[in-house]
Amino acid sequence: MQLFHCPFCGARDETEFHFGGEAGNLRPDGADAPADRWANYLYMRDNPKGAVREVWVHMNCGEFFVMERDSVSHQVLSSTSLDGAGHAQ
Amino acid sequence: MRNLAEKWTAMPDWQTAVIDTPSFAIRSVSGLNQFLVSGDLATWSKAWGIALQPVGAFGQAMGDTYTVQVARDRLLVVSALPSTVAQGWHEQGFAVSTVSAGMLIFEIEGAAAAELVARATTLDPGKGSASAAISFAGINAVVYRHGERIRIHVDRSLAAYFWSWVATVGGNIASAEA
Repeated sequence: MQLFHCPFCGARDETEFHFGGEAGNLRPDGADAPADRWANYLYMRDNPKGAVREVWVHMNCGEFFVMERDSVSHQVLSSTSLDGAGHAQ
Repeated sequence: MRNLAEKWTAMPDWQTAVIDTPSFAIRSVSGLNQFLVSGDLATWSKAWGIALQPVGAFGQAMGDTYTVQVARDRLLVVSALPSTVAQGWHEQGFAVSTVSAGMLIFEIEGAAAAELVARATTLDPGKGSASAAISFAGINAVVYRHGERIRIHVDRSLAAYFWSWVATVGGNIASAEA
């Protein structure tokens, strides 16, 4: 079992969380966005080795947040809420 | 025509249902109103006229009216009386939704209650958590202490599953103690 940190609830079992995608993958704005921009948004992933920034949601309390972790060691470095106030653990 | 109802365990009568073992007992609690408050919780608190002191996971609630934190901006209010604040959205920035029929309240007491909790969740009851919404027995539940007992709110549609889980695990605990 791995513990993730919800910015509101604190340390919880990883099974309470759901992956939401890479942080910073912004949805194209407007109908004029070119096809390659949409393809990049929908299908292309960086999948880096090492430090990653990902969006997660704590399904029990509904908190959306950005988690910084290491994809090799699985060490969690930080969790910061996406509510605009920047609550962090 | 086949009677498919035979495949399912009959739904307990929640008014009288009890699992009573030598080391713990669980029964449902009726007669309490439950409503969710979302949004600006401090403003709601002023509108209802009670202090905002919500309990988190395994926190200690007291009395017939109290609040339980289930998210950063959401409370589960438990009260013997109906809400004096009208349901729906309020311009002050909060919403009130009655969920009395949607969630069933169970209460566990006895020496083995902690053993049951240990099998239900990975969360340390001694440390608690800001939100009382936790994974408990494989489902999302709201869990806190009330007096000497542990109260658990579960979705009514999952109550029969939760009841069968407690019966099975309770049997395992009794076997281990024998």
